Amino acid sequence: MFGSHKVKIEGQLLERVKTCSDAAGYESIDEFVIHMLEKETKKIIPDESSTSKEEIQKRLRGLGYIE
Amino acid sequence: MQILFANLFKVIAPVKNRLWLVCLLALCAAGATLFLSCGHARGTAASPKMIILGVDGLDPDLLTKFMAEGKMPNFARLAEQGSFRRLTTSIPPQSPVAWSNLITGMNAGGHGIFDFIHRDPKTFQLYFSTSKVEGPKHSFSIGSWVIPLGSGSAEQLRHGKAFWEILDEQNIPNYVYRIPANFPPISAKGKTLSGMGTPDLRGTYGTFTFYTDDPTAAVGAVEGGEVVQVEVKNNRVATNLIGPDNSFRKNSPPATEPFTVDVDPLEPVARIAFQDQQFVLKEGEWSGWLPVEFQLMPVIGNVKGICRFYLKQAHPRFQLYVSPINIDPKNPALPISTPTSYSSDLAKQIGEFHTQGIAEDTKALSDGVLDDKEFLEQSHTVLAEHRRAFDAEFPKFHDGLFFFYFSSLDLNAHMMWRLTDPQSPAYDAALAAQYGTALEEFYEQIDQVLGEVMPKVDDNTTLLVLSDHGFAPYRHSFNLNTWLLNNGYITRKEGVTGDPNEPFSDVDWSRTRAYGLGLNGLYLNTRGREREGIVEPGAQADALLEEIRQKLLAVRDPKDNSQVITRIDFASEAYQGPYARSGPDALVGYNRGYRAGWKTILGAFPAEVLEDNTNAWSGDHCMDFTKVPGVLLSNRKIAAETPALTDIAPTILRTFGIAKTNDMKGQSVFQAR
Repeated sequence: MFGSHKVKIEGQLLERVKTCSDAAGYESIDEFVIHMLEKETKKIIPDESSTSKEEIQKRLRGLGYIE
Repeated sequence: MQILFANLFKVIAPVKNRLWLVCLLALCAAGATLFLSCGHARGTAASPKMIILGVDGLDPDLLTKFMAEGKMPNFARLAEQGSFRRLTTSIPPQSPVAWSNLITGMNAGGHGIFDFIHRDPKTFQLYFSTSKVEGPKHSFSIGSWVIPLGSGSAEQLRHGKAFWEILDEQNIPNYVYRIPANFPPISAKGKTLSGMGTPDLRGTYGTFTFYTDDPTAAVGAVEGGEVVQVEVKNNRVATNLIGPDNSFRKNSPPATEPFTVDVDPLEPVARIAFQDQQFVLKEGEWSGWLPVEFQLMPVIGNVKGICRFYLKQAHPRFQLYVSPINIDPKNPALPISTPTSYSSDLAKQIGEFHTQGIAEDTKALSDGVLDDKEFLEQSHTVLAEHRRAFDAEFPKFHDGLFFFYFSSLDLNAHMMWRLTDPQSPAYDAALAAQYGTALEEFYEQIDQVLGEVMPKVDDNTTLLVLSDHGFAPYRHSFNLNTWLLNNGYITRKEGVTGDPNEPFSDVDWSRTRAYGLGLNGLYLNTRGREREGIVEPGAQADALLEEIRQKLLAVRDPKDNSQVITRIDFASEAYQGPYARSGPDALVGYNRGYRAGWKTILGAFPAEVLEDNTNAWSGDHCMDFTKVPGVLLSNRKIAAETPALTDIAPTILRTFGIAKTNDMKGQSVFQAR
């Protein structure tokens, strides 16, 4: 279902990605790019993992009205 | 004065200067007249002033009873000399909704707050209705460390202008203490402190920690807290305080700070040490507020909070309660006041205080971690802090508006109602004999506060004492989602294996037409709104809602044939404004004695539709709004026979000669209708 996908980055964009990746202390360009994609896709498709739902419920359960 | 000048004129003025002196005399006389008239005008045209005591959950029936019994003489005097009315509450009668009605003069259609719990219809992500706290949006990783780029944020979700914003625009000085639904506090010229809705340092609405060596204790997360198993080794416990999730680290584990407890082998005392602090507690003793600093990242990142310790037991079992870690008012990690420095200024005046929005630890009592005596001690501490703040700030009030909020009657009615109600499934005669008057004692304290206010009420001052809603017994739970499931409005997937207590576990949305969420919300699974909506908006939705309404109103408790639900309001009828269709499609109004069940609120499906409520949380107000009105008292004659919360903001504005805004639904309570 998930598989993998290759993306080619070159020229000026590659230079900028390298600069940002180095400045932010990433171990590799790949790690930087993956992290950025993770952040951006969450904006479009929010994380519905059970962990995040559980966290939200945990926060809300502190309210006396809810168990 | 004119005679004096005339005589002077005769004595000293040569003829050729008399004209000049006539003019001078005329000018002086005019100036004297002007001076006298200005002084006179200052005496009678003094600026109006307003004092509002906002007492959450002050119930009109209890108030009437206690006044008649002579237990609330100041309220009795105010009611007799001024006015006392029931105050129509919000639909639904929940504090964040009710206070938003009061603050903006609009109902939920205008301010967008429908319940404690809201959802995103596309994702079913749940959130607290009045505010959102988020971590930083961007970060990068170094090994297992995650470095945020930019800070997190807290967002106020209530729409509409607050009455004090309008007062600010007109340069009317104002002070607003802990009004609910104001976290983070909106920008203001005056001093404000945020209240209900303010999280603890962990970003929750209150998470205590309970440390015990009892092997039979249920370890791990409990409602509103965590139970940590510890070992007493050589009379010492070594464990950790649990802080906020450390977003600097991958997977955001909670930050922790170690502490030790040396338990005296013979005496019921223990010495607690953490960071650079040490103190001794006896069994049954509470500490004061103690600062705690969580290191999130070496050198760069830390966050400060405050907490209290309670040594419940030293022997034979070790039991130590630690309060939720509150935001430190002297070093607030999130914005909790205007100006930002005010929380610190107040703490310097009165000492540290609870910054958590709902400060009374009701969950600790519900979970049996604190007993009634211990809960009441903690509750009295909360009220004592509020009274210290009141005593510090009220004497400074000379001009404009002074608003002060008290939470005690609401939270203590929630928890202590069962000890005044023999019909409650949670009633205990022995506890009732000991603590049955506890709620009454809180009412008496509020009367004392009113007694401090009344001497300052002069002819130019309008006093309002009001509440957002009243109270009713909560004896039985109605599990709306279970009812919807049993009546074919919700369908679950074949071969259900999910956790029945998980929100909307295994719901087949393609065959589900309605669902319940929050304390009073009924939603249709609407095409174009919900992610997998199937109900067509318009005539189909309207017909479906009416069908469900009739069926719910017909539900009877098989035990005694009581009507469980006495009212259902459609959003299309109840709400006006741009957000009228953003919340539930209908609001379920439970009869006195009934409320939405604990699990159904977050979308779970308990086995039974009706259950007894045996929780210590035994009084509530999330019912039919007509059955839990609040109160409104004033030193002035209230013209309105049935004032409502939406009338309060217009009343405030009119007092200061300001016209209400076009989107405010009510009008001044002093205006004839």
